Amino acid sequence: MFKLRIADAKLLRDMITVISTLVDEATFNINPEGIKLRAMDPSRVAMIDFSWPKTIFDEYLCDAPMKMCINVSEMLKLLRRAAKEESVELALDEKTARLTIAIKGRYDRTFNMPTLEATEEEVPTPKVTFNVRAKTTTHGLHQAIEDVQLVSDHVRVEIDNEKMTLRATGDLMGAIVELKKGSETLLELEAKESSKATFSLSYLSDIIKNASATSDIATLEFSTDMPIKIDFQQPKEGKLTFYLAPRIEVE
Amino acid sequence: MPLGVNLRDLIPKTTTDLTSLRGKSIAIDAYNALYQFLAIIRQPDGTPLKDRTGRVTSHLSGLLYRTSNLVDMEIKVIYVFDGVPPTLKEVEIKRRARVKEEAIVKYERALQDGRVEEARRYAQMTSRLKDYMADDSKRLLTLLGIPWIQAPSEGEAQAAYLVKKGDSNFCASQDYDSLLFGASMLVRNVTLSGRRKLPRKNVYIEVRPEIVVLDKVLRELGITYEQLIDIGILVGTDFNPKGVKGIGPKKALQLVKQHGSLEKLLPTLKKAEFPVDLQRIRDIFLHPKVTDNYRLAWKEPDIEGVIQFMCGERDFSVDRVRKALGKISVGMRKTKGKTTLEAWFGSNS
Repeated sequence: MFKLRIADAKLLRDMITVISTLVDEATFNINPEGIKLRAMDPSRVAMIDFSWPKTIFDEYLCDAPMKMCINVSEMLKLLRRAAKEESVELALDEKTARLTIAIKGRYDRTFNMPTLEATEEEVPTPKVTFNVRAKTTTHGLHQAIEDVQLVSDHVRVEIDNEKMTLRATGDLMGAIVELKKGSETLLELEAKESSKATFSLSYLSDIIKNASATSDIATLEFSTDMPIKIDFQQPKEGKLTFYLAPRIEVE
Repeated sequence: MPLGVNLRDLIPKTTTDLTSLRGKSIAIDAYNALYQFLAIIRQPDGTPLKDRTGRVTSHLSGLLYRTSNLVDMEIKVIYVFDGVPPTLKEVEIKRRARVKEEAIVKYERALQDGRVEEARRYAQMTSRLKDYMADDSKRLLTLLGIPWIQAPSEGEAQAAYLVKKGDSNFCASQDYDSLLFGASMLVRNVTLSGRRKLPRKNVYIEVRPEIVVLDKVLRELGITYEQLIDIGILVGTDFNPKGVKGIGPKKALQLVKQHGSLEKLLPTLKKAEFPVDLQRIRDIFLHPKVTDNYRLAWKEPDIEGVIQFMCGERDFSVDRVRKALGKISVGMRKTKGKTTLEAWFGSNS
């Protein structure tokens, strides 16, 4: 059996929104300790890895490990009906394989939706040795990404001991954003060696924008021409990590 | 002319447009595409495009312009060529040859009588893929910087294998056989989307790509992959073209769901004969001959080389070829350098 209640519907909605930026169908691993999900987008450029320990929820009940696959955008449609300070209850009916979503607060409504056949695919963790690590405010990072997105669809990220630089070159315009170590946005910076890599902005901006709803601090790690790992600090012991494959420039 | 297994009425699919395939790689069943080009790219009376020495060039025209459109959409195309067909396919191959012989006679008669519309229709059925056409196509693809793979046997099986291995996002073919070969993602109409004339009518329709997801097919039909193969065999595949008389896709689905497998349901049928042991047909789909001997690399086109071949040797217009090459160069530059996370799943980098 699986059942949970969360007093703040918005938190659940924001987390499902992050997942929806990468996948249409999400297979959740549910066990007595909490919920986990690891998924790649269909083109396998990006990956999301997150876990919510049961302590995040106001009530949590799961007696045996199980998988639950849901159409994320359909679920979001229902969750968007919840207003501020309303609570949400999820309950899986294993016999009918339907998920019940009860929103309570101003008035009570109960939706139900089908679950889908869970994928068996286990997504491995990318094996990368990271040479740089930068801790930023999620909001500041989002702003910097919005800046460079004005001119191009990809960005070159460079980190040395002093600063993090975002460079974008479009057909007509260019942009350079500099975040200095110890500034309001760039809280910490460590560089074993200067590193640079290029990433697609469409993925970065969607993920960072949506993650900023539940996360104040983001930690970026990468190495030259390697995938980037972004850890978005979550409330309580929640974990939200995002990986994105680089674009390799071979001129 | 039926080609491949006819499961159209059963298969749930999503209509999409080419932009949704941006950044994706697709393994195109090359023979399937070349046959389409040979059938469609013809003059109003059915004469194919030819160079000054009489060599047919319809397939090159289709290959160049269609590929340039796909690369322009930032789609990473891979062509997979058929190798030696499984021996079980002989009956079907002979049947197709016979249909073509008959069509040639009808075509010539219609042409003599001045029935142009009819002549074109028969001409489309006469399309033959000669060895030189496949060789020309491979030569053009190499010059264009597009990867192509020689399959040991069925091209669709190899294309499905690429998808299974994660080397390609989609299999592209008109046939549903790819699903029987286990391709998790199939896209149809990729090589012919756009405005198309309806056969025998002076009406044009918009053809859009269709995406078929194997998992979804199995889920919605409530069957296993092995059962889908059994349905294919009942309806008729290239390896038992006749299938079982009187059984169409819907009946086949019902029977397989009711009884579970071919072995269990066959005794309930009055007449069901197969050219060979069932398991041999199944094995072609379950364990097809495929190869790991390929490398996928997209390069910028050799512009002068393509012009020399297409214009110098095959009499294409320099302006049009240059324009197509321009699209390919730009598209290649945009897709170049994109990686997937899978490159980092293996050993430590």
